[in-house]
Amino acid sequence: MSAAARPIAGSSVRAVAWRRRSARRALTFYAFLSPWLVGFALLTALPLAVALLMSFTDYDGFNLDRVGFVGLENYTRALADPDAQHALQRTLILMVTVVPIGVGVQLALALLLDQRLRFSGLLRTIFYLPHVIPVVGGAWVWKLFTDPNGGLLNAIIGIFSPDTYIRWLVEYPTVVLSVFVIWAAAGGGMVIFLAGLQGIPAEYREAAMIDGASPWQVTRFVTLPLLSPVIFFQVVVGVIATLQILQQPILLTPGITGISPGTVPPRDNYVFVGHAYNAIFVNHLFGYGAALLWILFALVLLLTLVLFRTSGRWVFYGVQQ
Amino acid sequence: MSADTKPTLNAPHGQLRTTRRRLLAGAGAVAAAAAVAPLAVACQQQPTSKKSGPAKVVVMTDSHEFGDDDRKLLQDTTKIEIELVEADLTRLYAMYAAGNPPDIFRVQAAGIPQYISRRMLKDLQPYFANSKVLKIDDLAPANNFYKSDGKKVGTGDLYGMVKDWSPDFTLYAYKKPFAEAGVTVPSDSQPLTYDELAALAKKVNKKQGGKRTYWGFVHSNNDQWIDRTAMNMLAEKNQSLYSADFSKLVIAANPETLKVVRYLFDLAKDDVHQNPLDPSPNWMGADFNEGQIAILQYGFWYSAMAESDKTKGNVVFLPAPTWSGVRRDPTMTATGWVISSQTKDPDAAWAVFEQYMGGKPAQDRAKSGWGVPGLKSMYPLMPQETPFQKQVQKVLQAELKQSEFTLAFNPYIGEETFATSWKKHLEPALKGSISFDKFVANIEADINTAIADGKRIAGNN
Repeated sequence: MSAAARPIAGSSVRAVAWRRRSARRALTFYAFLSPWLVGFALLTALPLAVALLMSFTDYDGFNLDRVGFVGLENYTRALADPDAQHALQRTLILMVTVVPIGVGVQLALALLLDQRLRFSGLLRTIFYLPHVIPVVGGAWVWKLFTDPNGGLLNAIIGIFSPDTYIRWLVEYPTVVLSVFVIWAAAGGGMVIFLAGLQGIPAEYREAAMIDGASPWQVTRFVTLPLLSPVIFFQVVVGVIATLQILQQPILLTPGITGISPGTVPPRDNYVFVGHAYNAIFVNHLFGYGAALLWILFALVLLLTLVLFRTSGRWVFYGVQQ
Repeated sequence: MSADTKPTLNAPHGQLRTTRRRLLAGAGAVAAAAAVAPLAVACQQQPTSKKSGPAKVVVMTDSHEFGDDDRKLLQDTTKIEIELVEADLTRLYAMYAAGNPPDIFRVQAAGIPQYISRRMLKDLQPYFANSKVLKIDDLAPANNFYKSDGKKVGTGDLYGMVKDWSPDFTLYAYKKPFAEAGVTVPSDSQPLTYDELAALAKKVNKKQGGKRTYWGFVHSNNDQWIDRTAMNMLAEKNQSLYSADFSKLVIAANPETLKVVRYLFDLAKDDVHQNPLDPSPNWMGADFNEGQIAILQYGFWYSAMAESDKTKGNVVFLPAPTWSGVRRDPTMTATGWVISSQTKDPDAAWAVFEQYMGGKPAQDRAKSGWGVPGLKSMYPLMPQETPFQKQVQKVLQAELKQSEFTLAFNPYIGEETFATSWKKHLEPALKGSISFDKFVANIEADINTAIADGKRIAGNN
């Protein structure tokens, strides 16, 4: 081997070693990621793809061997379906009600508990508790609370207005549903906001106070802008969760003790995923149900993109890009 | 931290990274091996256990009806392992979709035509023909719901059997509301007409300050079986909700059907029946137990629980009302078992089925009073000890003579389809958002679309 060749050979050996090390690191990385990757591929990506294929067929859950391709028929049908339109309208109303109020409540609770309060640990636990109660249990709590014949809510109102008999789940179903959803999500959002608040350096607020800012001005002009990425996150997550709501309206249906095909919630709480559930499990229209869900997916994607596009105007990341 | 680990943490950066990576890689390998090992073992064991192990039958049914004691009893009798899967329509569809349906599953009458039209059920006629336990001439009339000639239900080969059944249009009267209203409790030997029943319901219906004291007349299992009630009323005049070939729901164009639908609608509108504007938080059977219903329409099976601490001594069992004087009191549920056409071991499934329907479990069910036995030879086992049981039996024996009729369910729609549409449109109709005519038109539109879908799928099949 010539002297000139030695450095080249040495560099080649280093390159091979570097490549091997990189390959090993990549392999290790993917090995650790593989449980999630396999789970995502099998339990999310594959069902999504199958559902997309299904949405172009007349699959009814039993005719896999004789399934027929129907093109865009399920999608055109969904766009003309008055029940789908009604369900979508009710879902959007729920979204525009629940998301802003819900995020506001979560933020207010977090701001409250960020103060030096007595029993703040106890309050934190109490506010967080609804978040860990299973949805069925939570729905039961609210059904009992709003029961016309002995529910706590009517009893409390009855102190001021005797003989009050309000059938909350019949007369105000969407109000009860909205409050239930906000109540159930408040604790989880509060914890995320609290984490965000604790990530804001205290000196920013102290500097503003030294400059004469009032507590409200500190919150409005220092805390909220610095918290805006967390607010943005909560809004996006809230929008997605509300559009996908299914269990809560069904469980709040009077006389219903569980989720089953054929359960019909009050018309005002007839939501989009519930309509898809009926299409699939009551009418056995798996293809049509899948088309409805893909339309919902497109809507979720669209709204999320709109939120991301508008976030530049109100979300402050500290370092402007 | 032990002294042994310190040198690693104090090692040069590259060495530390290598060590951590190796550690993580090793841990990952161990974790992967741990995950894969049971699978590998399972894969190796599967053929062996299949060859040498006992037969196994998967039964999807209600665990309240088929408890662990029943399962063990059947296992001991048949020497077949039984796996119980809780009855759940959604899960059943999922299991069929996955090509792995239960061997035996629980059904009700309304679903049977659709299951048969989709060839989901095994034809059990040869098994019944050779059985010494389940003799064809001993089968109760409710088993006709499990017969099909390929076109209609009621005649032809047997595809299953009722576990027990009841003439389902009988009434239970709670005496207290009648006494409070100063109204005589109807006779248990003279059936009411539906018009008399509606008039009576208005008299015993009671609300105070908006709060419910008694519902007058509650029927159709919280409207879940509303189509069955309508079908039985119409059957008295040889009419149906559907056209003869089941291709259309016909309400508006058939005056008699319209009259029946109007009657049922008015019970809700008059607020004598539980409805979306005045719902009950409970199941109607529980409401009767609580003494909140004056007249309840349920089958004989409910007699086993009609007398609660609150209602005991105040319940009377009444014959089924009549719409036009031609009495019919069939079962509307015909709850029973069928065997999947995809079962891998039909003989084992039949052995379990046969013992459950004709062996000791069937005798125990007959003695419990939770339904009329599926075999006529077991009728005498029904309880007749208490005064209420004796009164129930007196009425029941007369009703059994009216129970031969079979309701003709539409094979193209699911068992919940009609009720779902009814409940969906009833609320706006009662609120006045839509007229009664629009209510009817909406239901017709929903059901006829569902029938068209079902027919297309059945045609593809």
